[in-house]
Amino acid sequence: MFRTDEIIKASKLPPEGVAMSRHIDYIYFIPILFVTIVGTFHMHFDLLAGDWDFWIDWKDRQWWPIVTPITAITFCAALQYYNWVNYRQPFGATITILALLAGKWVTIVAAWWWWSNYPYNFVMPSTLLPSAIVLDIVLLLTRNWTLTAVIGAWMFAALFYPTNWAIFAYSHTPLVVDGTLLSWADYMGFAYIRTGTPEYIRMIEVGSLRTFGGHSTMISSFFAAFASSLMYILWWQFGKFFCTSYFYLTDDRQRTTKVHDVFAYATLAHGDKAKIGGKA
Amino acid sequence: MNATHVFKLWVMGLCGVATLAFTPALDITPAFAHGERSQEPFLRMRTVNWYDTEWVGKSTKVNDVTELRGKFHLSEDWPRAVVKPNRTFLNIGSPSSVFLRLSSKINGTPMFVAGPMEIGRDYEYVVVLKARLPGHHHIHPMFAVKDAGPIAGPGGWMDITGKYEDFTNPIKTLTGETFDSETMGTATGIMWHLFWAAVAIFWVGFFMIRPMYLVRARVLAAYGEEILLDPIDRKVGTAVLIFVLVVVVVGYLAADARHPVSVPLQAGETKVKPMPVKPNPFVVEVTHAEYDVPGRALRMVLHATNNGTEPVTIGEFTTAGIRFTNKMGATKLDPNYPAELVAPAGLTMDNEAPILPGQTVDIKIESKDVLWEVQRLVDILHDPDQRFAGLLMSWTEKGERLINPIWAPVLPVFTRLGA
Repeated sequence: MFRTDEIIKASKLPPEGVAMSRHIDYIYFIPILFVTIVGTFHMHFDLLAGDWDFWIDWKDRQWWPIVTPITAITFCAALQYYNWVNYRQPFGATITILALLAGKWVTIVAAWWWWSNYPYNFVMPSTLLPSAIVLDIVLLLTRNWTLTAVIGAWMFAALFYPTNWAIFAYSHTPLVVDGTLLSWADYMGFAYIRTGTPEYIRMIEVGSLRTFGGHSTMISSFFAAFASSLMYILWWQFGKFFCTSYFYLTDDRQRTTKVHDVFAYATLAHGDKAKIGGKA
Repeated sequence: MNATHVFKLWVMGLCGVATLAFTPALDITPAFAHGERSQEPFLRMRTVNWYDTEWVGKSTKVNDVTELRGKFHLSEDWPRAVVKPNRTFLNIGSPSSVFLRLSSKINGTPMFVAGPMEIGRDYEYVVVLKARLPGHHHIHPMFAVKDAGPIAGPGGWMDITGKYEDFTNPIKTLTGETFDSETMGTATGIMWHLFWAAVAIFWVGFFMIRPMYLVRARVLAAYGEEILLDPIDRKVGTAVLIFVLVVVVVGYLAADARHPVSVPLQAGETKVKPMPVKPNPFVVEVTHAEYDVPGRALRMVLHATNNGTEPVTIGEFTTAGIRFTNKMGATKLDPNYPAELVAPAGLTMDNEAPILPGQTVDIKIESKDVLWEVQRLVDILHDPDQRFAGLLMSWTEKGERLINPIWAPVLPVFTRLGA
């Protein structure tokens, strides 16, 4: 079914080398790459979009669909660069969001429920997994990061609101308390006391996007898609910067050359390795 | 690294491990407060002057309803360093949501969202609370000011008995459905998260079952990408793409059909009128104030005039939720007010006699107690703006209470000789 045999043959690795490469795959992929993304991206995401993701009464029509995709696409793009350019693996975005959600759920269970006693529905996170899968598939099908920035990143942001409406639609159900109209989400935010988070902290439903004929969600999603596209390009380049390996080779005539083919390093003689500098 | 160095590292490491091991054995008592004493004195004394605070029902069963209520005065001596109360929210200081807040009203106006308040005016609040998590909890009223932060009021103990498992909070919505705030939406949310996680794991797993990194990197470097781009990947990718898009659309439409009536989050501003200004015939001004550091006493000279028709007797000085009373003021104390916040004999005057109608007097008054230290209000002497503010409570002969906000700069007295 797969081209695996052909690829292994082309790698010119002996059988024990192939077996070892699989061990490296497992050790590197789960305990190192995945956990590293959890640690780094979870913190990064929470610092930028955390409150919109933590609290049900922050999930508004305007800022939530803008802030969340724009923040989330950053590491997705960088990890896509790493996985695609070096290995042609189209799961950089998916693994990033899976890791983010793994970190999220650890926090929800350990910090929000067990430690702080807030119910799960109050701190339910949004999901970007469909967006991430689509982003990866667009890269796989187009094989082109520019097209992915235009098509994939737009879909990444545009899919966010409809995906999460399935989870959070109920929270916009109206109710009346003390003669005041509230959404269910507002009521939850009021009822469950957060000592350090007074109501005015909420950054919701403010700004001129509300003035466009009342279609705040559509306009926010459109703006988020545009900004996600730009963010994708920027973070793809960050991925490139941090994933580019090279070394300097000084030959017998003292000419120094910058070499990008890191595999060539393995073929150098021991004496030549002693002469080189740079990052390899 | 020589043997001595290794030995030192081992000793240091063992000390660390021993410290960690013994810490729980020596002291694992939980913290029973919210660091309110660490708030700077100028924040607690010169912003919100709390009074008449009541923790109704000191012991409540899970699901039963109780109240936290009282009044506050926004000090005329509001510090320059603190943003003016243009956007404020009455909050509760509690260790997580041990109570559910069913209702919060200031001067009868529901306070679901923040709003402006007026300096120099008084407000009355009632917060209705439903007991949720059993335990012995320290509960504060809290006044949060945008760009300034929360300002904690006095803390009192409230007990909740029963079992959390019995807690429910069903609420009827405008669509006629009944939602329970503890569980509504949880199962749906978890179901969708698990579903999308399964799809994502399938997608990643589809590539994990084949060599992932080293083999592919070598082939890519040697032959380029063509050999790596397996035609089946594109087919499966297309199928997954269509599947994901269909599920997103169906999920959206299904949720929309299930909850057809929706409103956006409500994010307005509460407009609260302050309590009407009550005529006060008793006029008080602080002409001099000093804090005696070794004596733990705030001494003031009051210039007071009684423009009323009845004699007036001073009974209490309160600031930062701390109450200093004399003998007369002590008789007016709510017996349920936390004893640790009261100095029942902490207020003395050089002349305790009532101030007669038409009389103007200069009174030396001293509020003296270890509470100045315990509540860390003595830190006022480390402020760049050494002032105090509080409320002076007096009573007419007929028992009417008169409240005078007072404030003044404070001069420090560092030695007994200075006193």
